[in-house]
Amino acid sequence: MTAVAIVLCVVCQLFLVVGQLMLKHAMNPKAGGSWRGTAVRLVPGIACMTVWFFLWLGLLEKLELSHIFPFEGLNPALLVLGAWFFFRERVTVRAWVGIGLITAGVVLVSGS
Amino acid sequence: MAGGEGAAANAAVTPNAPARLTGFGNPYVQIAVGALLVTASELMLKRGAEAAAGSSWLGVDALASLWTWGGIVTYVLSFLSWLYVLRHLPLGLAFSLINAVHVLVPVASWLFLHESISPRRWAGIGLVLGGIVLIAGNVAKAEEKL
Repeated sequence: MTAVAIVLCVVCQLFLVVGQLMLKHAMNPKAGGSWRGTAVRLVPGIACMTVWFFLWLGLLEKLELSHIFPFEGLNPALLVLGAWFFFRERVTVRAWVGIGLITAGVVLVSGS
Repeated sequence: MAGGEGAAANAAVTPNAPARLTGFGNPYVQIAVGALLVTASELMLKRGAEAAAGSSWLGVDALASLWTWGGIVTYVLSFLSWLYVLRHLPLGLAFSLINAVHVLVPVASWLFLHESISPRRWAGIGLVLGGIVLIAGNVAKAEEKL
């Protein structure tokens, strides 16, 4: 896998995670407001998901599915790291080991 | 799409009273259905992408293939199944189980797309899966915060 492809695989997962979180917040009933306001708030999330989708299709055009699918494993690791970075959520030793294993696995797969 | 995943995750903090859910209404059956739908979706997206020129890193040209649209429809169905699951099971548990896709997708790639998966790639997939199992407990908490 080329360096560009590896970076794109990671960027693709970032768009997915950020897009999911944006959509979740836009659809939160507590945010209130009109139907129209909700529709407007959904726009950035939908934009992220659109970028994710077309990046994923572009990667699928060039690489094997079994080669890039394991990168999806970065998704939960990014969530846990995000909660740690932005909200100081405690990351257990067990979870750090998990993040390490996922990262090592993705590195192995990308070089396979 | 999994924006609803998050919204539903909030609902999953207080799961509904356990009702007798049988057949396709059983959330565990729905997890299996969802995992199969995700696998089918990825296979179809791959077929659709293969039909495209592949000249750009954004695969917009793959939309010309019906396989791609089949993949999109199947993905949406898998998402609806996931929302249903989260109404009945806690996110941590549902998340752990749905990760069966990390085995199903490579096996299906090998069976149906004839991709040859090296021992090194299998080892990487195994590490990713092991890591996900270890992290599952923290994921539900992270979802709540973010």
